[in-house]
Amino acid sequence: MAETVLFWVFFAGVVVAGAQVILRRNPVHAAMSLVACFFFLAGVYLLLSAHLIAILQVMVYAGAVMVLFVFVILLLNLREEELSRERVTVWKGIGALAVAASVGLIVVFALRTAYSGPVRDLAVEQLPTGFGTVKAVGRALYLFSVLPFEVTSLLLTVAIVGAVVVAKGKI
Amino acid sequence: MVGPLHYLFLGAVLFALGGVGVVLRRNALIVLMSIELMLNAVNLTFLTFSRFPLVKSAPTQAGFLSGHTAVFFVIAVAAAEAAVGLAIVIAVFRSRASVNVDEFDTLKF
Amino acid sequence: MEVSWLYLIPLLPLAGAAVNGLLGRWLPKAWLYAVALLVVLLSFCIGLFAWWQVAHIEGETAQLRQLVFTWFSVGSLRVDLGLTFDRLSGTLVLVVTGVGFLIHLYSVGYMDEDPGYWRYFAYLNLFVSMMLLLVLSDNLVAMFVGWEGVGLCSYLLVGFWYDDDAKAYAGRKAFIVNRIGDFGFLIGIFVLYLYTGQVSFQTLKVAPLSLGVASAAAALLFVGATGKSAQLPLYVWLPDAMAGPTPVSALIHAATMVTAGVYMVARLSFLYVQAPGVMAVVAVIGILTAVVGALIGTSQMDIKRVLAYSTVSQLGYMFVGVGVGAFAAGTAHLITHAFFKACLFLGSGAVIHGLHGEQDMARMGGLRRLGLKHTAATFFIATVAITGVLPISGFFSKDEILAQALNTRAFDFLTLLPDPSSPRLAFLGPAIYAIGTVTALITSFYVWRCYLLTFEGEYRGPPEVHPHEAPWVMTLPLWVLAALSVVGALIVLPSHHLPFTWEHFTEGVFARPRGGPPMERLPELVAFGIALVVAWAGLLTAWSLYAPGRALEGDERIARAMPRLRRALASALYVDALYDRIVVKPLWATARTLWRAADVMIIDGLLVNGPAQVVAAVGSVLRRFQNGDVQRYAAVTAVGVLILVYVFLVRG
Repeated sequence: MAETVLFWVFFAGVVVAGAQVILRRNPVHAAMSLVACFFFLAGVYLLLSAHLIAILQVMVYAGAVMVLFVFVILLLNLREEELSRERVTVWKGIGALAVAASVGLIVVFALRTAYSGPVRDLAVEQLPTGFGTVKAVGRALYLFSVLPFEVTSLLLTVAIVGAVVVAKGKI
Repeated sequence: MVGPLHYLFLGAVLFALGGVGVVLRRNALIVLMSIELMLNAVNLTFLTFSRFPLVKSAPTQAGFLSGHTAVFFVIAVAAAEAAVGLAIVIAVFRSRASVNVDEFDTLKF
Repeated sequence: MEVSWLYLIPLLPLAGAAVNGLLGRWLPKAWLYAVALLVVLLSFCIGLFAWWQVAHIEGETAQLRQLVFTWFSVGSLRVDLGLTFDRLSGTLVLVVTGVGFLIHLYSVGYMDEDPGYWRYFAYLNLFVSMMLLLVLSDNLVAMFVGWEGVGLCSYLLVGFWYDDDAKAYAGRKAFIVNRIGDFGFLIGIFVLYLYTGQVSFQTLKVAPLSLGVASAAAALLFVGATGKSAQLPLYVWLPDAMAGPTPVSALIHAATMVTAGVYMVARLSFLYVQAPGVMAVVAVIGILTAVVGALIGTSQMDIKRVLAYSTVSQLGYMFVGVGVGAFAAGTAHLITHAFFKACLFLGSGAVIHGLHGEQDMARMGGLRRLGLKHTAATFFIATVAITGVLPISGFFSKDEILAQALNTRAFDFLTLLPDPSSPRLAFLGPAIYAIGTVTALITSFYVWRCYLLTFEGEYRGPPEVHPHEAPWVMTLPLWVLAALSVVGALIVLPSHHLPFTWEHFTEGVFARPRGGPPMERLPELVAFGIALVVAWAGLLTAWSLYAPGRALEGDERIARAMPRLRRALASALYVDALYDRIVVKPLWATARTLWRAADVMIIDGLLVNGPAQVVAAVGSVLRRFQNGDVQRYAAVTAVGVLILVYVFLVRG
């Protein structure tokens, strides 16, 4: 019961904060909304027993990535006149409608059939030991995805160097 | 009772919000944030399928958690993408004094 | 007899060519010379050893054989790289390596100052190797490799000074004219393979051939011979080939390569005797070439061109020999000619060397008393040999050919037309003899003219040029070749007077022509007498016109007496201009038309640029969609996704 209540609270939070992200004119407000959205999402993840991912969501997204966004916003220091008015063109309308229509079609036609067979609710039938904990996810990562994991570290290194090179102007 | 469809529906709504943001907004920073929204929608979907597996799906512990590992990688890649994307925004802003994506149209013809 | 070391004969010069060609630029000169000379000398020694063995085996199996490796085997066709060293090919190996060695030695003096000397020696080694392969190979395909190889070397060496346009052009001309002949040669091989499935001489020898197939193959192969051996109508490249260094003219364009056609006909004597009509054609072409070459030779002023036309003419004699079925006589003349013509060419080279590149006989004269003693003496001996004023090698070998032409019965049963009642060709032999005798007179005249203009009388060149004798590396080969020109007579002395004769020696090699053994139409001594008289007549005519002290008066008198003939002969009967008009120009025109119509319009325009223009046109429309606006792209992508979702999810 409590789970249902929490879900709908988080649901509302995610949708409202997400909408704020794309509706706010001021990037700082949008960024703050995004942080809020991420927090609510972390709550949803907890409901899904994804403990480690929920923590990572808060630490990496809400913490690191969003700080980066905010830094950049401050660095650019956009004044009011630079935040020019939105222009709505025909193509933008078409694109937005197409996105909405695609997602709508998927919701209507695909979600129902996403679970074609009987569904196991792991929470109901006793979650596997340590599901979603650091230990279990770490074991899965290191036992079955070692190479992608290591390659990810390489990717992050390249991204750091690349970001520095691109942003620095003169080296 | 909250079932998998609820979570999937939330993911779809979030994905649509992100997609509309990408198409509509001019501000490059907000476009990047919208992309983050879309990525999170995908993450949510991964976690949902991990938590509510189909009956005949992966029986092992690692199999149950493959959705989690995927999300882990998505977060890492998203972080990298944000770093590089923001660096590009800064570089472009230096040369164009603008962050409006519809003004960056020299990559054509 | 199977042996395992025969491959060394062609391989050694090939190795020399590889060493000199790849490393020659960096090798010290002395080393390079040592390599180039030693490999040929070693080949000569191995050849001598083999020849000694072959000379002591009696009968038809007097040969050494080696199967080096199977070159390729496709279906029923199997081509071996096999070598056969019999009495004919063996003797030619000795000629090629022996004369080749002398000319290598001579080249050390002649090419010493040329910056491309290492290239030159590499080509020369390669040539010797290819010539040996041509001579030794036991099948047509391997022979063709050697045939093309010597053609390549000829091209490389004629155009050796490739920065001179005229010389590079001469090289190309030699190559292209040879290519025409080689085309016939190749088709000839195809014909033989098509009807017998064989390419090796041994199996072809016993293969049954119909008259038609034998004639077609023999005629096509002879087309190749006319190209390589400079016969009518493909002789035009040889005079131009004199653009190469003079030792090359001596080795390739006098002594060895140009005789490959004669060798080929002799080697395939078993095929040619089955095609008597083709043999008649060979003899007729030979005698016509002989007389035309000699006539043109009378009016040339360039010393090397005189010798070149002389070579054309002498090759004609050789073809007369093999054409009338006297294969031994034809090949004997091949050998003696190799000696005295190489000597003449090297002598002319020494003259050119001594006059710092002068080739025009109008600016020579009196060189005998200006220090070129050795050159003059050896040139004199070789002149005696070729003109036959004294009975040494050239006299006997040429006379033997003419006597065989007179006496042959190879054409007695041939008719002019397929109709058996049409006139017989029995007159052909005596007619050839008559023309050949006249040609001998002309030959004697123009070679003596050449000698007299060059070495006797007063020096007519510019005074600042001081003629000087060549170094010993050049005069030594001259003396050796002059000596060979004299003693070469030993192998060609009339057959029944000596125990060892060429004809007897090579008995097992050649097939016998149809029509029976020759009959004596003229007593031998009478024939000798006629030949001597003719040779002396030529000498005396030359003397009366070009005697020492008269300088170029002789030429002027001839020009006054018959101006048009003289002009025509001096311009080589306008054959080059004629070919230019009827072959080269139309070919150019066709090529240009094809280029404009087929290449530029259809291939370039329609097939190459056409698709490109279509793509460009489509692209110029499509690029409007790529306007650089990322959000437009995202919108279009979303529309695409919508369509896919609709198609696969809603309808599917």
